[in-house]
Amino acid sequence: MSSVNDNPARIISQAEWSTPSVRYGVRSLQLLLLVGLLVFGLGPILWLAKSAVTPTNDTITHPIALFPHGFAWSNLHEAWSNVDVARYFWNTVFIAFGSWLTQLVVATTGGYVLAVLRPKYARFVKGLLLATLFVPAVVLLVPLYVEIVRLPIVHHSLINSYWAVWLPAGASAFNVILVTRFFDNLPREIFEAARVDGAGPFMLFWRIVLPMSKPILGVVSVFAVLASWKDFLWPLLVLANPDIQPLSVRLPSIQSQTELGVFLAAMFIACLVPIFGFVLFQRSFLRGSGLGGALKG
Amino acid sequence: MGLVEATPAATRGSERRLPRRTPLTWVRNGGLSTLVFLLPLLFVFGAFSWYPIVRTVVMSLQHTNLVQPATWVGLQNFRAVIHDPLFPTAVKNTAYFAGLALVFGYPIPLIAAVLMSEVRKRRGIYSALAYLPVVIPPVVAVLLWKTFYDASSTGVFNTILGWVHIAPQPWLQSQSTAMPSLVLESTWANAGATMIIYLAALTSVNSELYEAAAVDGAGILRKIWHVTLPQLRGVLLVTMILQIIGTAQVFLEPYLFTSGGPANSTLTVLLLIYNYAFGNSLGGDYGKATALSLMLALFLALFSWIYLRATRSWSTE
Amino acid sequence: MKSTRRTTCVAVAVGCLLIVCATAAGATSSAKAVTISVASLIPGSSAAAVQQFNQQVAQFEKANPNIKVQPVEYQWTAPTFAAKLAAGTLPTVFEVPFTDARTLGENGQLANLTSFVKKLPYYSKYNPAVLAEGTTSKGKIVALPKGAYAQALHYNRKLFQQAGLNPNKPPTTWGQVITDAKIISQKTGKTGYAEMAKSDNTAGWILTTVVYSLGGRMETGSGAKAKATLSNPLTVQALNMLKKMRWGDNSMGSNFDMGWSDINQQFAAGNIGMYVSGSDVYTNLVQASSIDPSIYGLAPIPLSKSKNAGVLGGGTLVSVKPNANAAQKAAAVKWIDFFYEQPLVSKPQAVRNAQTLVANKQPVGVPALPIFNLKQYTLANTWIKPYINVPLGQMKPFTTGVFKQKLIPEPAVSTQSVYHALDPVVQAVLTDKNADVESLLEQANSVAQSAISSGA
Repeated sequence: MSSVNDNPARIISQAEWSTPSVRYGVRSLQLLLLVGLLVFGLGPILWLAKSAVTPTNDTITHPIALFPHGFAWSNLHEAWSNVDVARYFWNTVFIAFGSWLTQLVVATTGGYVLAVLRPKYARFVKGLLLATLFVPAVVLLVPLYVEIVRLPIVHHSLINSYWAVWLPAGASAFNVILVTRFFDNLPREIFEAARVDGAGPFMLFWRIVLPMSKPILGVVSVFAVLASWKDFLWPLLVLANPDIQPLSVRLPSIQSQTELGVFLAAMFIACLVPIFGFVLFQRSFLRGSGLGGALKG
Repeated sequence: MGLVEATPAATRGSERRLPRRTPLTWVRNGGLSTLVFLLPLLFVFGAFSWYPIVRTVVMSLQHTNLVQPATWVGLQNFRAVIHDPLFPTAVKNTAYFAGLALVFGYPIPLIAAVLMSEVRKRRGIYSALAYLPVVIPPVVAVLLWKTFYDASSTGVFNTILGWVHIAPQPWLQSQSTAMPSLVLESTWANAGATMIIYLAALTSVNSELYEAAAVDGAGILRKIWHVTLPQLRGVLLVTMILQIIGTAQVFLEPYLFTSGGPANSTLTVLLLIYNYAFGNSLGGDYGKATALSLMLALFLALFSWIYLRATRSWSTE
Repeated sequence: MKSTRRTTCVAVAVGCLLIVCATAAGATSSAKAVTISVASLIPGSSAAAVQQFNQQVAQFEKANPNIKVQPVEYQWTAPTFAAKLAAGTLPTVFEVPFTDARTLGENGQLANLTSFVKKLPYYSKYNPAVLAEGTTSKGKIVALPKGAYAQALHYNRKLFQQAGLNPNKPPTTWGQVITDAKIISQKTGKTGYAEMAKSDNTAGWILTTVVYSLGGRMETGSGAKAKATLSNPLTVQALNMLKKMRWGDNSMGSNFDMGWSDINQQFAAGNIGMYVSGSDVYTNLVQASSIDPSIYGLAPIPLSKSKNAGVLGGGTLVSVKPNANAAQKAAAVKWIDFFYEQPLVSKPQAVRNAQTLVANKQPVGVPALPIFNLKQYTLANTWIKPYINVPLGQMKPFTTGVFKQKLIPEPAVSTQSVYHALDPVVQAVLTDKNADVESLLEQANSVAQSAISSGA
């Protein structure tokens, strides 16, 4: 936050701020913004939280009323155990963990080669990586699916295997470029010094480069986990077996057979991890987002 | 696959400088360990990015449904897509979605970010609140809003409208209001990210520019108009391009909200691709699906190019 | 070598099959254990329904110790089936509608079961028309019937009562449907008449049903030369009825994007006065939505006076994955025999099946159409009579009426594509007051015609 937060405001100068009309005018506009953010930004989430513990009937007949007939804590329990949200929740966690790991491994090792080791062919690889930025994700959908159904060479199907989600997740050019740029800016004298001390490339990577890159690894990690938590279409296609599906895939398919209150409770549970993660790692979230939204594509 | 391409380039490169290098010296100089480090990247990108991109081109020229062997059909898939009566509908709807998303989601985050940048205490609360919807899983966001959009008079939004004596709206249940409803949700879900981008850019504007403008006697609004906005030009372009690239591939909203209905009024290009590939219960038409993907990709490559140019100049500025 | 092993497997399997059929008790054999996955219930079914299914699996495994059965939840919907088919993620035994089995079979996407099926003792008793739905043009049997339905009018007796209508006298003409729907919506505030209108072909399916009942057809001719006749005066009439209920009477509620599951859910929750769906839907209303049986009423589809008017009938077939090996195919046919067919042809199995269902509070005696013949159907119903737990009295209008109705099969060529072409037309009428029915139908007709001509 610090970079965003502590900078003094500058459009309005100190002199202008001393004028009461400016101060109160701007402040009331800002208050209006705060109310707007609370109502429109937070409102829907609060409604979800409220309805998750409200009896279904009340939610249907009086959607806005606050607990006209008390609470229904049973919704949460029902969702967690009877609708099996627990299982899908842990599936989601497991998928996110694997995707995070592959993305981190690919981005750090790749970035290390491109920025630190810099072999002659690094430019060529970089060019190929940049080229993939031109290709929207949609192009990969069908051929990637066909490939997963029947892998070339080994002729094996990865359908219903978490590898089908983890491995393609690793192919994020944005991650690699982000990490490469960060590594590029690390002081090269340290690498030289380590080399003189006899550190091999593995030692250099593990002992010097990685420990120095915690901020960027934090950003990549946060977005890797968040992207995996949000993903829908790809896991829908490749994880056909309901027992292994993540929450985002499972929620739409159980909707029509689940009581509304219980369903809202299930959705609420699905939001908890990202919300808590956001509160804990706000800094990495906002910093990553400020990087020109480069990770969005 | 990437390996095969990368290695000759490497040797070619080294031959130029050290003509008498042998594989052994290459290994000794760390060439092998470099390659080992590069393996994860080459494997993952080779198998799950570069290879499928090539496959798209191949498949778009074939007739294939994974059951019978593929046959070459030339440009027939492209012709079939262009002559599909749903193709212009999908293009029109996607453009409509993208346009509405720009109208809803472009000016408001900018105004909000400018106001936020002048918050002197607890700015963190503002940015956290603005960003919160972005972390909600999109599936949850869509299904939640689908509940809000219940068209009966006791639906969430219709209840609220009832307070101010506005008649219940059909939301997703009418051809004219379905698409704006989709965009409204998508704006809610995404505006926070745009706002944070603006905020980061606003705080990096050189404050001397404001001071200089103040010396020239500029008021607050004139400072915004003559300093802030020109300084944000690059970011504004980037967010617009990002938004166009994102909205041109919109899938989740029409898929989960309306399945493209009512009467194809929310059928988007990506949903059409999905329907070609997976919508027919007798088997998919992967040729048409990849042909349409390629057409969309070529269109978007233009925007990606602008994006890359813009970010490059913006980050070096 | 491969082929010899294959034949022995078949021989052993067929041997097992015969023993099971003869004794219906535990068959022990030295055959190697084989595992098959089978379609169980649709996602979101109640715990009791799942338990009932698992008990059936246990009974089957006890009788066939060398077969291991893995239940997989399953629901056929048009937009989700193709991906499963392509990815090979279907269970070994799965269900497809009448509309698709033959084409899938012609394309080699279903296993050839001919040799196994011909050995079933009741093979010759199948209704030839029904068996034909699962037989390819070359005479390969690729699917066995699970059940057949006729479209029916489901209505909420409680809402009829509340609206001052006689729940024992459901509407017998479309005119009455329209007036009753108006009365129900005005008196109770609930939806008088609802219709599926989702883009998953259900909208077209129901519209076709209504057009059939008025005497219209969606196709003439057969094969690639078939002609789409979506745009005909009776379709226009059917859509105008919808238009009147939606925009004139406002008796259709506010949700116009319901699919099969959604409309069942809404009906079971007591929010819908009347709707059209297959006669066997009651099972789902219990399994997935725990309907209160006292509100349920079942009537035949109102038919117009036209001599072509008839009720649309369809059904579900059971198929086997094309890449199943011989042992799996044999085991799969055994499961199909045990789970789907025996309860219809064998008294002990019918009784045991009914007992399991009743013990788990699952419906027994839901009206369907015979897949063998009427005599067998009536006979099987007498076996389970003591166990029937569905409100048969409330289904009487249908059970007495349906056999007087002319049964018309679904459009024969590119059925799902024809339905899909009709989906947006139905949606347009329900969501746009000024929808131009004629030109929408013209457009749908050309879409359907190109699907028919290209065999999609």
